[in-house]
Amino acid sequence: MSEMWINMGPQHPMTHGLWNLRIKVDGELIVDADPEIGYLHRGIEKICEYRRYNEVITLMDRTCYVAGIAWEQLYIMAAEGALGITPPARAEYIRVLSQELQRLSSHIIWYAAYVQDIGLMTPFLYGMRDRDLVLDLFQSYTGARMTYEYMRVGGVRNDVPVGFTDRCRKVMDWLDGKLVEYEKVCDNSTIFLDRTIGVGILKAKEAIQDGITGPVLRAANVARDIRRDRPYSAYPEIDFDVAIHDGADCYGRYRVRMEEMKQSVRIVRQVLDWLDRNPGPVLAEKVPRFVGTPSPPPGKEIYVERRGYPKGRGFSSMEEPHGEAMAYIINEGAEHPYRAKLRSPVFVNIAAAKDYLIGYRISDIPAIMGSVDVCLGEADR
Amino acid sequence: METKYGKTVKVAAPPPAGVRGIVVQPMALVARQFFKSLWRPSTILYPMKERLENPEFREEVKVESGAPIGVGEIWDNYRGVHALNIKTCISCNLCAFSCPDTCIEMVNVDAGGGKSKKCPQIDYGKCSFCGFCSDACPEGCLTMTPAYTITTNNRKNMVYSPERMFEVFKVKLPQNPTRIALPANEDVILLDQDLCIGCNACARDCPTKCITMIEIPRAEAKPGEKLPKRIWKEPSVNDSECVRCGTCISVCPRECLYWGARK
Repeated sequence: MSEMWINMGPQHPMTHGLWNLRIKVDGELIVDADPEIGYLHRGIEKICEYRRYNEVITLMDRTCYVAGIAWEQLYIMAAEGALGITPPARAEYIRVLSQELQRLSSHIIWYAAYVQDIGLMTPFLYGMRDRDLVLDLFQSYTGARMTYEYMRVGGVRNDVPVGFTDRCRKVMDWLDGKLVEYEKVCDNSTIFLDRTIGVGILKAKEAIQDGITGPVLRAANVARDIRRDRPYSAYPEIDFDVAIHDGADCYGRYRVRMEEMKQSVRIVRQVLDWLDRNPGPVLAEKVPRFVGTPSPPPGKEIYVERRGYPKGRGFSSMEEPHGEAMAYIINEGAEHPYRAKLRSPVFVNIAAAKDYLIGYRISDIPAIMGSVDVCLGEADR
Repeated sequence: METKYGKTVKVAAPPPAGVRGIVVQPMALVARQFFKSLWRPSTILYPMKERLENPEFREEVKVESGAPIGVGEIWDNYRGVHALNIKTCISCNLCAFSCPDTCIEMVNVDAGGGKSKKCPQIDYGKCSFCGFCSDACPEGCLTMTPAYTITTNNRKNMVYSPERMFEVFKVKLPQNPTRIALPANEDVILLDQDLCIGCNACARDCPTKCITMIEIPRAEAKPGEKLPKRIWKEPSVNDSECVRCGTCISVCPRECLYWGARK
């Protein structure tokens, strides 16, 4: 039978974003795949070179629209390294709290979208309902539901409000029960199990060769988590487990994410206890002026030269909800970064689509690509 | 780095589902959700119930422990429409400088007594509600409120003049209190004394009037050298009053003022 190329995308319910998956099919069987991205490219790395250090934060929120605060912290950690600023301990704990809340909201929306892809509609509504509670928490201390603009070079914008920890604990108690419910819905559904178990297998060796990270790698029985292996922020002082699964299939990725949500709830509880015990400042005491508030107008760089700002390079890597994200910033003493480079986990994960798609049927594609958790905002940057 | 944790948990596959798992449990789950949703919808009926601005809704979501959330309430941190106190605005231009979207423009408003001054005007068509302007405001006169209903049919209505933001201020919505957390600034304004000509431009334009011109001794001309043409005064900056707006630096004709750390 003759083979042919099919475009799945850029407008397709499977894509969860704007990208194009070209597949070569032999009847129903996939024999080749070629992901095409770039529809959402905004040149964020280049724009960073024209923004002052704090103004870049607004861009980072828009890098990934379901995990904005993760990218904020990624950038902030690199910028702090480049500028030589150390944030206070309380700020680090608030950052960890933000990370884990963000992981919860990101995984919940993944769950909602994925289960809907598979064909179960009701859990989508459960997911959206519970994600809103997490977003309410975000709103109460960062001031926004999606584009937080909360982190600052040298700490965070403001302390958590009075009574926040009680409210947060209530939401965590609520989520405890709901996470069990999520699993019940899926594990009792034969439709779900049939469509995920043994589908989209990506073994550990191939995954490591492709540079795949995050839940997809952990589902292939590789215990790799930056939070544990190269801890940043306040993670060294926090107790949590890394979830792995030996299925290496869509079902394994689902189980790993479910376990990660439980671990996130556990981390949030520890951080809340710490925050209750340890009041303190949330911003570094002194930061250079061009970080805190703006510098002289463009064209007057002479003042920056005279000031002799410190030069430096900053690198940061972190466990974003989708995988390992990295940032590298070069500071040449100007008020803007000289160069900013971001490494997106989703970019790598979907680039390897060929390895986990070949040999399956067209109807498996939504199940497989959904389990990778695609967010094109960060892949294209 | 040594860590206290490091355990990895292996997530097991679920037990094979029998009749109970396939039929009874899912049906029970659905039935419970169905009956719950009958008298307690999870959504907020938005047009009938305002989410942030309606005091009734605030009472509903008040924490049961009685402790207030936030400085006032949870929505106090919400970043919505700006409130501007025209009376305390010092026209320092810091909000316009710090805006990443360049949506703030300084326009003339009537300051009373036949005088006028510059105050920020915000184009909400461009604004990303990041809050950098209210963070940068040294007087706390530009703050953000929980008001968020700014949709309109006319694009011109998206531009909020200072007077319009003053009206928002007069409504006394809870205002975003976070500028308290601003860090101390390590940079101050320094003077290159060789370049200064004592022209008074910095002291004239300083919004806080923290620059005073002090007289300096007249230099003696060395044989064969001409004295520079200048006024024998130079600016002295009061660091505790200075808001670090940089106006003096931008107006200086000789570029003799610059940022630096006080020795």
